[in-house]
Amino acid sequence: MESNKIILLDGAMGTMLQAAGLPMGQVPELWNITHPETVSAIQRRYVEAGSRVLYTNTFGANRYKAAGCGRSVAELVAAGVRCARAAAEGRDVRVALDVGPIGQLLEPLGSLGFDEAYDIFREIVCAGEKAGADLVVFETMSDLGEMRAAVLAAKENSSLPVWATMTFEATGRSFLGVTVPAMALTLTGLGVDALGFNCSLGPKELLPLVRELREWTALPLILKPNAGLPDPATGEYRITPEEFAAELKEALPLGVGIFGGCCGTTPEFIRAAAEALAGASPAERPQTLRHGVCSATMTAELDGVRVIGERINPTGKKRFQQALREGDLDYIVARGVEQQDAGADILDVNVGLPGLDEPELMCRTVRALQAAVDLPLQIDSSDPAAIEAGLRACSGKAVVNSVNGKREVLERILPLCKKYGAAVIGLCMDDKGIPQSWEARVAIARRILEAALAHGIAKEDVYIDCLTLTVSAQQEQAVETLRAVRAVREELGLHTVLGVSNISFGLPARETITISFLTQAMHAGLDLPIVNPNQRSVMDAVAAFRVLSGQDRGSEAYIRRFAALPEEKKTEQTGHGDMSIGEAILRGLKQETAALTAKALGEMSELELVDRLLIPALDRVGERYERQEIFLPQLMNAANAACAGFELVKKSIAGRGGGSVSKGKIVLATVQGDIHDIGKNIVKVVLENYGYTVIDLGRDVPPQTVVEAAVREDVKLVGLSALMTTTVPSMAETIAALRRSGHDCKVMVGGAVLTEDYAAQIGADYYAKDAKQSADIAKRVLG
Amino acid sequence: MEARLDGVDRAETLQYLSYRGSFLDEALRGELDRCEELLLRTARPRLVWRLFKLLPDGSLEGTDYRPGGRDVHEMLRDCDEVVLLAATLGTEAESLIRRAAARNMGEAVILDATGSAAIERVCDNFCADLAASVAPRFLTDRFSPGYGDMPLTDQKPFFRVLDVSRRIGVSLSASGLMIPQKSVTALIGVADRPQPRRSRGCESCGMAEGCPYRKEGKSCGKQ
Repeated sequence: MESNKIILLDGAMGTMLQAAGLPMGQVPELWNITHPETVSAIQRRYVEAGSRVLYTNTFGANRYKAAGCGRSVAELVAAGVRCARAAAEGRDVRVALDVGPIGQLLEPLGSLGFDEAYDIFREIVCAGEKAGADLVVFETMSDLGEMRAAVLAAKENSSLPVWATMTFEATGRSFLGVTVPAMALTLTGLGVDALGFNCSLGPKELLPLVRELREWTALPLILKPNAGLPDPATGEYRITPEEFAAELKEALPLGVGIFGGCCGTTPEFIRAAAEALAGASPAERPQTLRHGVCSATMTAELDGVRVIGERINPTGKKRFQQALREGDLDYIVARGVEQQDAGADILDVNVGLPGLDEPELMCRTVRALQAAVDLPLQIDSSDPAAIEAGLRACSGKAVVNSVNGKREVLERILPLCKKYGAAVIGLCMDDKGIPQSWEARVAIARRILEAALAHGIAKEDVYIDCLTLTVSAQQEQAVETLRAVRAVREELGLHTVLGVSNISFGLPARETITISFLTQAMHAGLDLPIVNPNQRSVMDAVAAFRVLSGQDRGSEAYIRRFAALPEEKKTEQTGHGDMSIGEAILRGLKQETAALTAKALGEMSELELVDRLLIPALDRVGERYERQEIFLPQLMNAANAACAGFELVKKSIAGRGGGSVSKGKIVLATVQGDIHDIGKNIVKVVLENYGYTVIDLGRDVPPQTVVEAAVREDVKLVGLSALMTTTVPSMAETIAALRRSGHDCKVMVGGAVLTEDYAAQIGADYYAKDAKQSADIAKRVLG
Repeated sequence: MEARLDGVDRAETLQYLSYRGSFLDEALRGELDRCEELLLRTARPRLVWRLFKLLPDGSLEGTDYRPGGRDVHEMLRDCDEVVLLAATLGTEAESLIRRAAARNMGEAVILDATGSAAIERVCDNFCADLAASVAPRFLTDRFSPGYGDMPLTDQKPFFRVLDVSRRIGVSLSASGLMIPQKSVTALIGVADRPQPRRSRGCESCGMAEGCPYRKEGKSCGKQ
């Protein structure tokens, strides 16, 4: 593809087919087989109008959308490529395999898994390549996770060039909240050949988004908008071909080189565009690009200090280790939420613990985190398989922590970074350990940079960790580290990372040393400190540095940060000394409950505390709820407060290496076909606070998964929830499957549409009308 | 007609929370205010609608769609036109509620109820605007797949006819449920004479079967 030439794509296909007689509701791709001459005739009109790339009529040719049409995906795709080929015959026209969204939302909002999405795209791409398509275009996506599945499927299973266009709203976000920088960073990283926008809006409305996009990528840009905005009452588009072409032309100065039309456009629109764009060439693109890492919805631009939160890491944390061993992802996710609230910009994710399947755990943790926090992630492991699992699951552009100067490490990890488009941290150490001089560390940094460049990783994606050594043990090294940071920043022009808190190990008043070192390091050029963002003073130091270095324009963020402070102090002081744990729980006071629990832990055993204080308090709350003296939010707040108490109990037990206070395991699931899980989550909170271990299988759970979990964990009580009349049969099926398995367990059911009678009818042992009752049932079954 | 969300009806939020007149303390009222403010700030309501001629056989002109069940046609008896509406609070609100569940279920519960009241408000506002625009003609009530005997499977043609997924980003799960969950699809008839309010009594309510009020022999009072 010549970058200085304009490439004209085609216009809409669906509406043209409907105009040619395609009945509404029929799978349009079927016409590739039943009416190939009609499909080709439309495409020929586009060629005659000036199209140089034809999209095949395969937008919805996936196994989900085309199910039941009587033809396989391979047949629909092959016929689609044939139609376009026929239309292109004798002309210098390329055929692009057109692939739209699957039509099912991926997790976490929907229930389609990444691997299944990947497989759906793989099937289409393989069929398209086999049929002779020249390239593949993924378009109209609004989920970056789905787009990633598509691009990876194409890259791993074909050698076709890949174009990728997404659909956005005028706000600069897609329906799923994807931002333009996140799209640009992620897809550029994955190695697509061109990217841009299709559908969405008219050309005029998309211009501001194009302007943003070009700041983040150097790749060729695609613009394939609708014919303006549709009339809401009729659904018809209103601008003329000439207006459309004139608006498209305004994207030329922005450097767009690939143009086409989406909904509402016809061969006349393409002809007008061809005339308007004749002889033009796309303008030069910006020399320097903005860069950083991102999740699908949030970007950490590296134009100043960005804080990497270090708390998702089991090292030296017994409670965290216990959570990992028990597969308690909620605990880990809560650590992520906490750090996001505290102001972290990137989350480091380390789940390495001997004896556990780290790749599998990394994948699950990344997915669970992405469902609850917006922050970009940093995959922290020394196991290449765990790194790849994390990168694959991550729906944005991640950081890999880490490589070092060892050749075999570089050779093993850098290809993964390149493949998934991740940034990478290089530690200034090699086979000989950590060099004592700053010069030697910079030399290793240089070697790492060269290796990264040789693997095709961009310079701005290489972050160097000059390594913090403990000042109480190796005092002279603090200065060497700071010098190395300055040199890496100034001589190599790279971003730098430091795990800061290590500096103060073994000294009193650690915070004083840590913050002083952090400040000096930032002054030397550190822009990616790895810290505990929950330490307010550390974040204060960063906030202050941002002001003093001019990053925080007008000190706005700083002022906001400290303006909010007095109010928070006030809420901390709500309690008074003589309150009982029961009162604190009843009033939903988390901090009070925690403080009182901590005090009580000095006076009685963990078990006593749970049985004599926490559970009776919850019982009283439950009774008041039943008497309708309080209602659901208060019940939940009380449960939350109790949770703070339980958390301390767990910590105390984990701290002395003791077992658990669990009163037994319960499997909870929202049944297959149902996605409403708030009721199940309410029950979960209450059960957990009664001391039960809840194995939460989530929503839309197939019967077999419930059976497997019940058998594997030897669970005596299974709770099922369904909210819709239509999904109750699925609940009945799950109960039947449990009975068939021969596993000895009781089943309780709940949900808006259920009644006592209905529950008995479908074979449940218990009907729980609310969360309180589920706890009563659990007591009866498990004690 | 744009999607307008200019507040929520507190009484309706409380109803979704199964509030039955227990004392609303200061703290809880504050929490309700805060959640309401947060949801209103976060939600980006969107809607898509189209006006169709209603053909004598009950189908919509220019489509292959005939609304299912008998109840809806009973409602449309006097109508020669019908509006199809799909509205949503968007994935922004959905994520807000889901994420709240990861940190504080109490807050999640309130946000969820507020969201339900909010999407109702969006629909109410749309209907008010629509009523003004069709005047002097009259509108029927809203009727949604899942109400009365109108099957949930109607969601599929409904989505196709309005191009709901592409236009406002609502997706239909394999079992016919909408994501984001705070979304509504509805039909509204247009007639020459005033239309009776049909949502009187529980029979016409889609929630009737599982309604907690009904289980207790009461009604939600929304007539």
